[in-house]
Amino acid sequence: MTRTRRIRAETVAATRSFLRRRTAVFFTFFFPLLLVLIFGVLVRTQPGGGGLFARPDAYYLPGYLATVVLFTPLSRIGSEIARHRDGHRFEKLATTPLTRGEWLLAHTLVNVGVIGVASLLVFGLVTLVTGAEIPVSGDLLLLVPFVALAVVLFCGVGAVLGRASDSQDGVIAASNSVALPLLFLSDTFVSPDLLPEWFLPAVNLSPLTYFSRGVRAVTFAAPDGAGLAGVGAVGNLAILAVLSVVCFAVGAAAVPRGE
Amino acid sequence: MNDATVVRAVDARKSYDGTVALDGVSLDVREGEVFGLIGPNGAGKTTLVRALTGTADAEGTLELFGDAAGDSDRSRIGLLPQEFGPPGRLTARELVGYYGGLYEESRRVDDVLTDVGLADDADTWYENLSGGQKRRACVATALVNDPDVLFLDEPTTGIDPAGRRALWGLLDSLADSGVTVFLTSHSMEEVERLADRVGLLRDGELVAVGTPAELVVEHGGPARFVVAGPDVGAGADPLRDAGFAVEVGTDELVLGDVTPAELGDAVTALADAGVDYESLTWTEPTLEDVYLRLTGETFEGTFTPGASAVEGDDAATDGAPDEDGPGGAGVDDGDASAPPAEVDR
Repeated sequence: MTRTRRIRAETVAATRSFLRRRTAVFFTFFFPLLLVLIFGVLVRTQPGGGGLFARPDAYYLPGYLATVVLFTPLSRIGSEIARHRDGHRFEKLATTPLTRGEWLLAHTLVNVGVIGVASLLVFGLVTLVTGAEIPVSGDLLLLVPFVALAVVLFCGVGAVLGRASDSQDGVIAASNSVALPLLFLSDTFVSPDLLPEWFLPAVNLSPLTYFSRGVRAVTFAAPDGAGLAGVGAVGNLAILAVLSVVCFAVGAAAVPRGE
Repeated sequence: MNDATVVRAVDARKSYDGTVALDGVSLDVREGEVFGLIGPNGAGKTTLVRALTGTADAEGTLELFGDAAGDSDRSRIGLLPQEFGPPGRLTARELVGYYGGLYEESRRVDDVLTDVGLADDADTWYENLSGGQKRRACVATALVNDPDVLFLDEPTTGIDPAGRRALWGLLDSLADSGVTVFLTSHSMEEVERLADRVGLLRDGELVAVGTPAELVVEHGGPARFVVAGPDVGAGADPLRDAGFAVEVGTDELVLGDVTPAELGDAVTALADAGVDYESLTWTEPTLEDVYLRLTGETFEGTFTPGASAVEGDDAATDGAPDEDGPGGAGVDDGDASAPPAEVDR
């Protein structure tokens, strides 16, 4: 109960702090929506054509969702750590019973909530404005753990970036440097057949790949690749879960304690 | 106060990139005692607080309640970091409630806010409070878990005199109830008023420890008797003939080591010599004199109306490595009893 009380206190404080920063709230939701509008409405897909966006609209839903689960946790957790460090909050927290893991869990819960709502908006917008045809079935519920686990994973990575960076500016630069390559090289917007053969094994090194493939297996089509590329939704979910646990543990250890 | 040791440091040492922040500091603080730590910026005060609270590593023995500092029962510790900046968009009530929620048990939030004088502003966002109110809210976060030992790193910085005195009263009552208080401050008035014992840290070394009175007797230097007026120079020789040590200044004579019983003799010597004077001032040494003597700091500047700055050595900008962090000079609340300008100390 005590642990629950601590996590609840941290979660409530973090939620209030976030929701009262209006620009942060606005851009958290605006950025992915903007992306959908640019690529889904302005650029549009050309099924059967060459190059980018040559697949059906539904193929790119994992990419849009990946944008939300990737960028927001990285930048938010990293910035939060920088803010805490600037205000000597970790120094104070180190003298309270709150552990580093509890701190990260609380902030991860806030992100799961925020990004869950943002993902729902993206999902709705993609189906509404791009005409993506998403098969409706109970399997769609798997999107919930996919999003949640991906957020957990990237909150862990965000904590590492926050620890490694010495300022909020540094966190933003670091998170962008990590997120952009991951976003385009994780079987999201850029399909593997556009990448050189020798690079394909590297795609499997990105944790975002398992989110993308898993979501696609649920919302577009069953995988038809070989090896890891042929793993179905549940398999990808399992891999994502393992990676999330590992990244969260590393992230929790990276949360600063004291000065 | 009883004899149980709550805070203990033995040969504490810490360096940052080759700069020595703590150099063999040893001290004990007893239960219910208010211990004041003074010293220039960069002397190691904040580093010592961090080492004792287990929020920074240091060599040596550092204990709270007999346990290693980092392993002690956290519910018994209250900490106010020097430059603490809690979330700005929580109200004072939410902020204190947040920190209270991190403990298994905590005091009623409204009671704590009343204690620090913020009951009327409980629903104001922290970032919209005044500087002094912010500091009081921060103090409240250190009190909400009803700690047995309280570490306050410059707690009254930015708080107005009335608020400061109210906070002093609160700390007095906490100490009376058995709470051990470890306090750092640049305000000699505050330390002299609150602390049962004072430690003076200089370049990472604890160079003196004792009650304020003991330190003043041991290190404060003699009492001074100042005779001021444009024509007082003529009184120097008669006073010397009467057995006084006299320094001649601009429009003043300074007699050192004068006891109250000798004041009459000095006045008589001046009268017999026909010396006119405008004022007579007898000054006992204070903790500030102790501070200035032991730190070697002086205030040698003169203030010129209309000039943009005070010249001379400023403790807040002494150029020493400042573990108090950037802005340390900015949070120096100055010493309420700072020496007057134009007096060479």
